[in-house]
Amino acid sequence: MRLNIVIGGAAGQGINKVSTIVSNILVKYGYFTFNYRDYQSLIRGGHSFNTLSISDSQIHSHYASIDIIVALNKRALETHKPALKKGGMIIIAKEFKKEGRNLNIALAGALLKILGIPLENLNEEIKLEFKDFDKALISAKKGYDSESEKFVLKKLDNKITILSGSNAMAIGAKNANLDIYIGYPMTPSTNALHAMAKDQIKNKMLVFQAENEISVISMALGASFAGAKSMVGTSGGGYDLMSESLSLQGITEIPLVVYLASRVGPGTGVPTYTAQSDLDIALRAGHGEFPRVVIAPGTPTENIEIVADALFLSEKFKMLSIILSDKHLAESEFSTTLTPKKATKITVKRSVPGTSIVKASSYESDKFGNSTESYILTEANVDKRMQKYNRAKEYINSNLEMVKIHGKKNSKNLIVGWGSTSGVIIDAIRDLDAKFLQVIYMKPLSSLIRKELEKADNVILIECNATGQLGRLIREKTGIKIENRLLKYNGRPFHEDELKIYLGEML
Amino acid sequence: MVKKIIKKSPKTKQIKKAAPPKPNKNIIKLKLDLGTKSENTWCPGCPNFMILEAVKRTLATYIDSKKYKKEDFAITADIGCHGKIFDYLNLSGIYGLHGRAIPTAIGMKLGNPNLKVITFVGDGAIYSEGISHLIHAFKENPDMSLFVHDNQVFSLTTGQSTPTSQTGYVTKSEPLGEFDKPLNPIKIALASNATFIARVNARDTPHMVEIMTKAINHRGFSFVEIMQDCIIFNMDQNFKDKRMYKIPDNKDIKIAEKLASEFNYNSKEEKIPMGVLYHNDQPCLEDRWPQLVDLQKRKVGWINK
Ligand SMILES: Cc1ncc(C[n+]2csc(CCOP(=O)(O)OP(=O)(O)O)c2C)c(N)n1
Ligand code: SF4
Repeated sequence: MRLNIVIGGAAGQGINKVSTIVSNILVKYGYFTFNYRDYQSLIRGGHSFNTLSISDSQIHSHYASIDIIVALNKRALETHKPALKKGGMIIIAKEFKKEGRNLNIALAGALLKILGIPLENLNEEIKLEFKDFDKALISAKKGYDSESEKFVLKKLDNKITILSGSNAMAIGAKNANLDIYIGYPMTPSTNALHAMAKDQIKNKMLVFQAENEISVISMALGASFAGAKSMVGTSGGGYDLMSESLSLQGITEIPLVVYLASRVGPGTGVPTYTAQSDLDIALRAGHGEFPRVVIAPGTPTENIEIVADALFLSEKFKMLSIILSDKHLAESEFSTTLTPKKATKITVKRSVPGTSIVKASSYESDKFGNSTESYILTEANVDKRMQKYNRAKEYINSNLEMVKIHGKKNSKNLIVGWGSTSGVIIDAIRDLDAKFLQVIYMKPLSSLIRKELEKADNVILIECNATGQLGRLIREKTGIKIENRLLKYNGRPFHEDELKIYLGEML
Repeated sequence: MVKKIIKKSPKTKQIKKAAPPKPNKNIIKLKLDLGTKSENTWCPGCPNFMILEAVKRTLATYIDSKKYKKEDFAITADIGCHGKIFDYLNLSGIYGLHGRAIPTAIGMKLGNPNLKVITFVGDGAIYSEGISHLIHAFKENPDMSLFVHDNQVFSLTTGQSTPTSQTGYVTKSEPLGEFDKPLNPIKIALASNATFIARVNARDTPHMVEIMTKAINHRGFSFVEIMQDCIIFNMDQNFKDKRMYKIPDNKDIKIAEKLASEFNYNSKEEKIPMGVLYHNDQPCLEDRWPQLVDLQKRKVGWINK
């Protein structure tokens, strides 16, 4: 069972409110939801929409074709009508104009009636959310009575939670006992900053907004040097500003985790849309040669686990850990029954100021931490950093899940992908003769990748960028070029139905 | 009104030179202990040596008083001739990136608010590359000290013009001469709600010790401009000593504004007021964040939270 509902209108009309109420109810009712948020870089007006996808089994994606449209204005109706399936339904907000502030509740009511979910579920939700709910209950009933049942969703017995990548960052940080998070607002990393800031006191954490990203990362290095487990968050442009300090991390070996949530570049690009085009800079930004790990979660649950792993690795190997995400993962609302693995305990054992004399320098340094230009020490320090990377690689190889295999394990058709594109691939190949290799560790890269590529007859690379950055990385490390590529770079993630059609042609 | 301000003018109220603290044996030992084995690569005769001496004396006295131990201090240094002080001080710290010594230091305070943090920067470093951080540090008022080695020139990169270099200064990168008027950092500090602004002469070690001590004692962001001759580049700006005069510590903002205007970093005649040009008490960053207040109460950093 799968339904896709588009809720569209102008920014400020409360699209998110409708989808939030309905998904909360659906999840309690035992259904899996996936909510894609499409919005422009403006505060009021324009056109935004959410696609709320519903299923009785685990999903991580949405469709292009629509079963129900909830139109908050004319533009929404005109924009989405061409994608409405034959026999699809339309709910028009204008009909509930009289409900005023409770318009969204009336719309939720109408939607739930179409889905065949009893009104009492909405009433319960309203009582939970609002103090003054009498009027809201009346609006809910009005909306509910305006439609007739089209689908009958039976109550299912699933324990499901809704999670976005941004919330996952905050949960992961809490689980790993992060001390300090520093950021500067930039979509799509901002929601993680907000989520971390909200419960900072309760979570015994400090969340600081600095004057720019250069300051953000400089402060984080200072804080980490003083013994605090520290993380920064940003998007492409802000990350560019941080590059020089990534390099400072390399030479000072002060542990640091960077959360990089990509959006469409170059430049300011299409700021509220998604892309997987920053893998190159995640891997390489910063002058000089120094070790790092780059980890790309595909779902919020993986994201929670990866926060702890990234912090652990950065502390253990005094290294830079980059968590690579994007707008689609950070801001879409996933739902799941999975619980993340327990976070590894991270203890800071290094010497810190206050109790000993510790020196960290942006210059190559001697054993006292003071500058040196000696060729012997320079070479020795480089070797030390490279050996450290090898140790980290060995540790990751034997302890962490660097890739995941989904789909038909024995299929000769292999799809290769990563990050936020993973979810839609998993969903799209469910009924196909295909196996999906999800790359989670971008650096170091798993040796399993070569083995899988060699076993397959037909390999397809799927990414949301124009140059196939993972494909290039794999070619660099294995010498194998993946010829078949499915690349999308218009700021929108793949839809499941769209991907199925492409794969049908390619397999 | 105007008259009143002139009456209050500190020129009429000069104070006696503070007597240098009597060196005791322990201080000499502590000073030695604050040094390192690194080869000093400043030009012979560079006033940076005197700044280093003043810092050692100041900190040795502090440590001798048992109020703080050597480990409680942490420094950050920028890149430039001034930054080499990092290698010559046996103190914890980060020898950071050009322009970023302040946010690195603020980060240390977020990581452990109990640390006593001192940041060393040059005029090129902080008024060019790091100016945004300076203004925000005034605004945030973290409890730390900033010592600016202002030689009105980029020395380590061989003599280019900085934001405080004089108009007309001819360099290899600006052979037509510097067209701009210099910035007045004291005015910027005042405009940014700085809570401690001082100016000292790198050739006056006792005065440096006195002002550095006051700066470190100040609860908040203390900005100390050290007028430092470079004896290799932009020597035109040297020999200002005769125009310098000392003032008593000032808390009056009106007087501070007047003092700030006395020297414009360009002229060859204007008097240059030295000492604490302005100070006031405002809650510092560490006392406004409940998380940091808690760490201070318990005398721990996050590492032992
Ligand atoms: C990002 C960056 N840009 C440029 C430099 C080159 N650089 C090294 S020191 C310096 C200027 C130092 O001038 P100042 O801060 O006045 O210190 P001084 O040498 O005069 O003590 C510059 C520009 C650098 N290290 N990093
Ligand atoms: S160049 Fe100038 S500032 Fe640098 S060490 Fe020599 S005299 Fe001192």
